[in-house]
Amino acid sequence: MTAQTAQSQAAPPSAAPEHRSKGQLIALIIAAVVALGGIALWVFQLAGGMVNTNMRNLDSWGIYIIFFMLFVGLSAGGLIISSVPKVFGIKGFGGISKIAVWVSICCTVLAVAFVVVDLGGPLRVWELFAYANLTSPLMWDIIVLTIYLIISIIYLWATLRAESGRSTAAALRVLSAIALLCAVLVHTVTAWIFGLQISHEFWYTALLGPWFVSSALLSGLALVLIVVVVLNRTGYLSLGQENLIKMARLLGVFTAVDLYFFGCDLLTSGFPGGQGGETVTLLTTGPLAGYFWAEVIFGIITMIIAFVPSLRKTSLILVASVLSVLAILCKRIQLLIGGFQIPNLDFASLSTGPDLSSGGQAFSSLGGSLIYFPSPLELGVVIGVLGLGVFLLLLGLRLLPLKPITRTTSDTADRD
Amino acid sequence: MSVQLGMAIDLKRCVGCHTCAVACKIENNLPDGNWWNRTTTEGGDAQDTPSGVYPNLKREYITLACQHCANPACVRACPVGATYKREEDGVVFQDYEKCIGCRMCIAACPYTGVRQYNWEEPKHAMDYAVGDADVPAHQKHTVEKCTLCAHRLARGEEPACINACPADARHFGDLHDLTSEVAQLIVQREYRQLLTDKGTEPSIYYLV
Repeated sequence: MTAQTAQSQAAPPSAAPEHRSKGQLIALIIAAVVALGGIALWVFQLAGGMVNTNMRNLDSWGIYIIFFMLFVGLSAGGLIISSVPKVFGIKGFGGISKIAVWVSICCTVLAVAFVVVDLGGPLRVWELFAYANLTSPLMWDIIVLTIYLIISIIYLWATLRAESGRSTAAALRVLSAIALLCAVLVHTVTAWIFGLQISHEFWYTALLGPWFVSSALLSGLALVLIVVVVLNRTGYLSLGQENLIKMARLLGVFTAVDLYFFGCDLLTSGFPGGQGGETVTLLTTGPLAGYFWAEVIFGIITMIIAFVPSLRKTSLILVASVLSVLAILCKRIQLLIGGFQIPNLDFASLSTGPDLSSGGQAFSSLGGSLIYFPSPLELGVVIGVLGLGVFLLLLGLRLLPLKPITRTTSDTADRD
Repeated sequence: MSVQLGMAIDLKRCVGCHTCAVACKIENNLPDGNWWNRTTTEGGDAQDTPSGVYPNLKREYITLACQHCANPACVRACPVGATYKREEDGVVFQDYEKCIGCRMCIAACPYTGVRQYNWEEPKHAMDYAVGDADVPAHQKHTVEKCTLCAHRLARGEEPACINACPADARHFGDLHDLTSEVAQLIVQREYRQLLTDKGTEPSIYYLV
């Protein structure tokens, strides 16, 4: 990327857009190929059976649901970054609103895609509308996620109209409020898929809803920062450093809140001992300790970068943002695998045999006790879905008028 | 009063012979790897090992299948109603035709491993189907579990595991009918149920 940046900066301003557009086109094609590869693997998974994944009866959800949770969260940032300033009438983050919302829309589409690849019978999804069981948190999430996606698209459309003077600021403000409410709801409802299940001690906590919101804010904002920094480098955007610093500080605050919730939850689980105590051991010194400590350390590094003024350089802000997304990925891994890790009925023959995946058995034979690790097929499908995301993102940047309108001809003026 | 079918399983009589599990497997033509009813050892480190320290050892078996809860967590969780509680007899039923394979019910059920997913096209050790002709065909990528032999109930018969037990440890009937054998056993004998703290109100009673 450094080479590309150097090239684009070295090129005369008039030739720059064409050059970028060519590189972007190549990236678009690569992303499309990766996405098609993912679809091929998914078809193989459906035809050959999900036995090719490493999910089994005792760990019946895996990396797809981990990424579903992650991407629902990532979708939050964009919408919140762009709607909060409008709703509360405060100063925004320098015209990145439209790009932020587009990132948000792409992430929501990916979240839906990750659920679809996890389904055993995707041809039966129509039943969700025909036989909707309204007591199911999964059904609530499908409803809220659909509304959320539609609202995000309307919101982007309304922003574009408002900019061209065909809509009022008041109308946009009302829509912002609805979008914000929807964003908070979608994360809470996603948490409820897990948090309302009395079957798993690790999941069953009232804190899970607010905690998902805080994790969503953190990872979502981090993703917006990553996109903004990269687009700043390529010249698509020219966001001032003061806006980056503002967002970086917010990133630090969200990290602190998220870790605070984690601390509260660990104490509540561990204090009475029992199965809750097992959960704490599982995270701090057990099979999931790597993910747990990675999350904590990434969080601490993010806070140091965010709160020490001299460290708030663009490159370090980018590092903090990447670490924040990784920290939340670690969080999701812990939550999902951890939830299935401790069986309620600890009978000898239940935790062995065909209910444990080959991945799980491999871990057992190595002396480990982790029950799940994704198979190559699962990783391939995940990469394919991510390719779809990059494709959508680039397509939007190419075809939609997402650049800030305040941008002048001297687009390199305030680049850092 | 409504009917709630259930079982009383006498752990003092159970010898851990697996006959009920095998009877279930054959009756329902279960695919390879699936066991709707399992005989498990309680307390020991591995199957068929005792708990405790020599000479104070104790070996106990417990057979585990769907608990047909009065307050089932799975029914509430299924987004399409593919798992539901039958009003006429309280059986928690699974409709393979409706199941979309999301596995929400597996995540929701507190009873470890009783809900089983067909991770591939069902395979059978035999080249031909075994068991009862009225058993619905197993489907790839759907969740299944004990139905209390719904096909036998429809003919007024008991589940296959009940009569198969050579130790006469398994009893079946309407828990709400106080004159039934199961209801009487629960009144007369001490019993325990699995994971009562989860509030699911299981319909399987283990006589101790």
